[in-house]
Amino acid sequence: MARKPQDNPQLDMTPMIDVVFELIIFFVVTLTEAQKKDETIELSNGQHGMVITADSLPAEHMQIDIAAFDKDGRRLAKPRISMGDRDMTPMDVYNRVMDRKEKYGPEFPVLIRADFETPHAAVKDVMDACTKAGIWKISFMAVAEDKTDGKLRPGFFTGKRKKGN
Amino acid sequence: MARKPTEDPQLDMTPMIDVVFELIIFFVITIKQQDIMSRLNANRPAPASASEHTKDDPPLEIEVGKAYGSFRKGVYVYNGKSLKLEVLDKYLKDVADLSTDKQIVVKCTLDSPHKGLVDLLDVCYKHKLTNVSIFSM
Repeated sequence: MARKPQDNPQLDMTPMIDVVFELIIFFVVTLTEAQKKDETIELSNGQHGMVITADSLPAEHMQIDIAAFDKDGRRLAKPRISMGDRDMTPMDVYNRVMDRKEKYGPEFPVLIRADFETPHAAVKDVMDACTKAGIWKISFMAVAEDKTDGKLRPGFFTGKRKKGN
Repeated sequence: MARKPTEDPQLDMTPMIDVVFELIIFFVITIKQQDIMSRLNANRPAPASASEHTKDDPPLEIEVGKAYGSFRKGVYVYNGKSLKLEVLDKYLKDVADLSTDKQIVVKCTLDSPHKGLVDLLDVCYKHKLTNVSIFSM
């Protein structure tokens, strides 16, 4: 029997919509993960330092954040030391460094990402914790090239931060 | 009986294009370019390091303090004189011209802003002076 030609072939859009939703969810989740780093920290300029790329740091490197301001731009009475999302005391930093040292040896890079207005005392606490654990070489993170707003920093602020000492 | 070929079936691309544009707009708005970061290395002096230096080649000591009236600025003391970073830059260039192995000891007061230290390290790296130690006072 002759088959009647299809006049109006329909494309099933369901799989495409599924895939698109899948993609949206994936990107939304990964973006929020990536943005979890402490945005309150403003770094100094350091265009002469070694540029950090994805492969310039070994996977075992350790990054310690020190924030001097809270999210509303108020200066913290005590700078906040953190790793990833977790708040830390210098003692916690020491324990983490010791763990990593046992695993990878004493040569892994320790990076301090401290706000440019952090009093040195807080940076000293973190450095002392590392030294106590036997890590003598410390790296400080700075901005080699500002891509976010094209402004030189520090000196220009996001506006959130309150002026004054 | 021969099968009649279907007449050029048309796929409606409009919804797909809509979705793709939607996605492009979403990502353009949400993704912001990241700054390029750098790292400046320094050493913490080992307890025994003070005795390592000979009297012939003492390390160059620079003090970082808090600028009067402003926490945002660091102030540098070299050879007993309070200096601006630009002046220190020239000094360090002269030092680097002689030897880039010269040890620089940065002494930071506890109330000095971190910017003071990083700016100084950056100037040291500018002149390839990478043998920098940090003391805290």
